[in-house]
Amino acid sequence: MKRRSLILITVDCLRADHVGLQGYARPITPFLDSLSRNSAVVSNAIVAGAPTYFSFPAIMASRYSLTLGREAIGIAPGEPTIATVLKGSGYATAAFLAGNPYLSARYGYDQGFDEFQDFLASAVSGVKTFPPQTGSRMSGLNRRFEAISRHTKLTSLLYDELYFRYCQRKSAAENLTLDQLRRYPAADLLIDKASSWLTGVQEQPFFLWIHLMDPHHPYYPPKEALESLGITSVSARRARYLNSYWNRGDIGPNRLRQHKEEVVALYDAGIHWVDKQLARLASILQELQRWDETVFVVTADHGEEFLEREERYHSPTGLPEPLIHVPLLIRAPGSSSAKISSSPFSMIHLAPTLLEAVGTQDPVSFQGRSCWKEISVGQLPAAPVITECADGSNGTQQVEDRTKPRLLAVRDGDLKLVIRFSNQSDSLYDLKNDPEERSPLPVDACKRDRVRLLQIAREHLRRSTSRRDPALAVRARVREIRRALDLGPLTATAQEDHAVETARHG
Amino acid sequence: MSNQYRTVQLPEELCRDAEAWLKGRFESLESLIGFLLQEVIKDEGSKLDMLEEEIVQQRLKDLGYI
Repeated sequence: MKRRSLILITVDCLRADHVGLQGYARPITPFLDSLSRNSAVVSNAIVAGAPTYFSFPAIMASRYSLTLGREAIGIAPGEPTIATVLKGSGYATAAFLAGNPYLSARYGYDQGFDEFQDFLASAVSGVKTFPPQTGSRMSGLNRRFEAISRHTKLTSLLYDELYFRYCQRKSAAENLTLDQLRRYPAADLLIDKASSWLTGVQEQPFFLWIHLMDPHHPYYPPKEALESLGITSVSARRARYLNSYWNRGDIGPNRLRQHKEEVVALYDAGIHWVDKQLARLASILQELQRWDETVFVVTADHGEEFLEREERYHSPTGLPEPLIHVPLLIRAPGSSSAKISSSPFSMIHLAPTLLEAVGTQDPVSFQGRSCWKEISVGQLPAAPVITECADGSNGTQQVEDRTKPRLLAVRDGDLKLVIRFSNQSDSLYDLKNDPEERSPLPVDACKRDRVRLLQIAREHLRRSTSRRDPALAVRARVREIRRALDLGPLTATAQEDHAVETARHG
Repeated sequence: MSNQYRTVQLPEELCRDAEAWLKGRFESLESLIGFLLQEVIKDEGSKLDMLEEEIVQQRLKDLGYI
């Protein structure tokens, strides 16, 4: 019997509630919606961490990111992943990733791949930012104006408004197209590359991982995607204005909301483009006569916020549903009807589940377990799931940015307990009656449930320590140290330590 | 750290290669090795893990569970 191949599509920032198969009203995912009629759909998939750097160790290596310690991120050198397991089983392997710096060889994601293209060299557009000039006479004058304006709230607001308008006028004069403004390669380019690779694979089973960034901000979808959705009013210039406006830090949520619908339309158009390109990939697989032997998986590393709790983008300052709830569709050969599981599913189980779907055993290092048997028949049992991150760890370049207290959420049924260790607080939400997590339940309400979820959190923390593989943790640290020594400045702490050592020996 | 030192033995060839590499980066082989060991044994994450487990444990106590 021919061995099954595996295609894993991960879409950055794709929220579960923005695909039709999860009930989204705007028809932006016709291909995925149609595919879901012959697929296993997990409607309550929850990432093991967010954003990308706290999510992907679970997706690829079935490990909570923080289990390796907060000093290291990514996949540790020598750590088993879906790719290394399948490569070891004789699969041809390739990854085409649309320029997310956290999914690069630098963080170990190239392990197990025969072909690995992260498109980092092409991931930055030639867009100028304003003000570009520093040190000029105008710049000096501007800084003086700004300093003066900060004396009162009113003049400060006035300065910010005028400055924003000035920057918009300057940038509008550039007249760039959406293609020029886009920061990451669009899905069509990735699918082209993947198709070329697939053509050369011959009869061998394969594992293909494609990571798409189209819904990631700044939101610059291809013009064709906007037109296909009937959105003709948004020009490239308008899209640039909307992205700049959405990115403003000087205005509050109420003013930002004025343009929310237009921004969401741009985001949706990015998803629509992904859908169109996935349809094209499926056609190519059919032409190559590989479709009927391939497990085709579509999911995301995290979602995106659009002011539901006054936040934008996907910063790890909270673990709300729009950020942690992602779509998960698994189309296996031979499936002829929809199998829908609505129980919460932790993405920690994805890697072993996919390995079983293609008939391969998972390694003992995986923290999750295969749920393929249950998912393939649409009968995933209810079980609590955990998601976590280092609270507010936005920049991960420096170790100090990552050694922050945990933010952890336990989801069980309609209840969600969020524990914020930085201020030692825990908030319990009833998602059925409060889906936007606006009003935590009173401390004395649902006490037994709170205790139960706290016990689950405690067990998770214990396992996080006991399951740490010190050898892998050290290898990951050594990789970071090598990078710091060869490619960039040492961290402040390392420089201080070095200075101390030098003084002692010098 | 104390001012007590320990002598460790390393292959001569490895030390020569490291000394050639460290020029402009570290003052001496000792400072390079000291830096590397300090960086590798850093484990703030484990300390935080234990602290966080204690916080949950305390919360369970406060709720009368323990």
